[in-house]
Amino acid sequence: MKSKTHTDHSSPARITSRFTGDHYVRDSLAFLGSALAVLALGLLIGENYVFHILILICIWSAVIAGWDLLIGYAGVFNYAQLVFFAVGAYASAMLSVSAGLPAVATIPLAAVIGGIVGALIAIPTARLKGEYVALFTFAVHLALPAVLQQTRGLGTGGSTGVLGLPPISLFGQTFYAINKQAWFVMALIVAVLCIYLIYFVALRSRFGLALLAMRDAPAFSEALGVNGRRHQIFAFAISAAITGFAGAFYAHYTSVVTPRILGTEFFLMAMVMLAIGGMGRFPGALLGVVVVILGNEFLRSFDSYRLIVLGLIVILSVIALPEELGGFLKNRMRKRRA
Amino acid sequence: MNIVEILISGTTQGAVYCVIAMGLSLVYGTSRILNFAHGALYTLGGYIAWYLMYGGPGLSFGLAFLATLPILFGVGVVLEAGLIRPLRRHPNWQINAIMVTLGLAFVIENGLQLLFGPKTKTIPAFIEGGISIAGTTVSLYKIALVFMSILLVVLLELFLARTRAGKSIQAVSQDLQGAAQVGINVNRVFGLALGLSVVLTGAAGILLAPIFQISPIGGWSPFLKAFVIVVFGGLGSTRGAMLAAFILAFLEAVVVATVGPGWSMPAWLIVLMVVLMIRPKGLLGVWEN
Repeated sequence: MKSKTHTDHSSPARITSRFTGDHYVRDSLAFLGSALAVLALGLLIGENYVFHILILICIWSAVIAGWDLLIGYAGVFNYAQLVFFAVGAYASAMLSVSAGLPAVATIPLAAVIGGIVGALIAIPTARLKGEYVALFTFAVHLALPAVLQQTRGLGTGGSTGVLGLPPISLFGQTFYAINKQAWFVMALIVAVLCIYLIYFVALRSRFGLALLAMRDAPAFSEALGVNGRRHQIFAFAISAAITGFAGAFYAHYTSVVTPRILGTEFFLMAMVMLAIGGMGRFPGALLGVVVVILGNEFLRSFDSYRLIVLGLIVILSVIALPEELGGFLKNRMRKRRA
Repeated sequence: MNIVEILISGTTQGAVYCVIAMGLSLVYGTSRILNFAHGALYTLGGYIAWYLMYGGPGLSFGLAFLATLPILFGVGVVLEAGLIRPLRRHPNWQINAIMVTLGLAFVIENGLQLLFGPKTKTIPAFIEGGISIAGTTVSLYKIALVFMSILLVVLLELFLARTRAGKSIQAVSQDLQGAAQVGINVNRVFGLALGLSVVLTGAAGILLAPIFQISPIGGWSPFLKAFVIVVFGGLGSTRGAMLAAFILAFLEAVVVATVGPGWSMPAWLIVLMVVLMIRPKGLLGVWEN
């Protein structure tokens, strides 16, 4: 049995062996149902500004779901998540602008490249323990803008980035960024696929169980034959591929990629989404995305004070709500039931 | 570029990196906080000194420098008591501390931008001119900079090794529980460590102002460098940070001279990766984890 567990995980293709956890069908239906509700709500309102905000929520949901897989479920303090996002965005940008490939081809390719980069970062990371994981991955994040600056000759465009990404063409139709409704539908499909893949396929499989076991009892699970290193690298690859996919999609939506996506503002926002929502408790992280995106839009009226206010909100919310929104809601519900 | 230039550049940069990185390492060693506002506090030092010189009181460089240090120390103590201490009660406080300091960096950075505007400010060097060493001209200010940086580092080391407060910092960083049990006021030590750290980084911000100027977002680059130095040197080891600062500064000087200035950060990262692969706890790291 022990050796079987081991071989079962030797190839990613066999992951879908068994789904675990209670209420698998019920939870899946609830998730798909709420996705349909968002779709209906968006189409009903039909306003371009609302579409734009929903698109942002969809894209960030995919990124945060990928991050949650690593930080919340695998327990790996990876701070290089936006590196994967940037790699996906840049890969798709360079393939479509420099090599002239259509967006439909470059976005999946970007996911593959993102996954490879994720695995490459995971190989040294898997050797590290504790805070060194956080330090190393964050060093990668911080160094990437300098690398992009220096690889201008390869088509990264240095600090100006890559401009003029082509829109997505599908079934003989071209969706320009002005067509917010079509982009909203596509973004929602992307987000649903990514989130489903992470929370309902990867995490509910034996692979997901192994990740939880590695997080909660590393020595014991190793003794039972779980290959922690391989699982960790694979978790990085999945997370990075999905995040890279989201990054590529985002790049084609905005039609530009600049090193700004690695700036502190984005990092802070992503981190706050995860922190407010709660790590490792689906759907907490996704709630965090909604709260932060809506909050950020609301703060736009503060203009030049926006970043100060954002910083203050982060400080105050962390001090006041250290148990995260997900935990907070859970406690409230438990109290109500009791 | 000749070898003398590389040596001079490596020494000056190394001395300054030492000051910034030791501040970061000190706080990490004692209170396990990765202070993301370290770079913003570096900038804050420069702005306070600039304000004391040109904004209001019109002090001289030396007086402004000396007056800024206690202000910075106070800032550190207040930040520790007000922002970090409330977090410690919760199990995942380390992540919360990272977020709080990141938020703080935003507040400081944008606050400075609102107060002083986005334009860079400059503090003129207090000594002009240069001397020639083996055919290379070195500005006197850079030499003064090296001496002042080394002075700060030596003072810190003496403080840590000789005084009661310094020894309590060392005790806390070695064994928090044990230190608390023998009656060391741990919270006061945390405050002291962050205060000293802010003094060090702020002092570096003032000393480097004549060379790099002061701008609201100018703190990220020194923070990034200090960060790599601290990881490279080994967490919790100020000596390791010192050693790493000079090694990386000389590496930077060589890379700048041979490949180009933009390549220093990628080169640092490669070295960091190799070191972590061979020795996962850094050069002189004390924690296995």
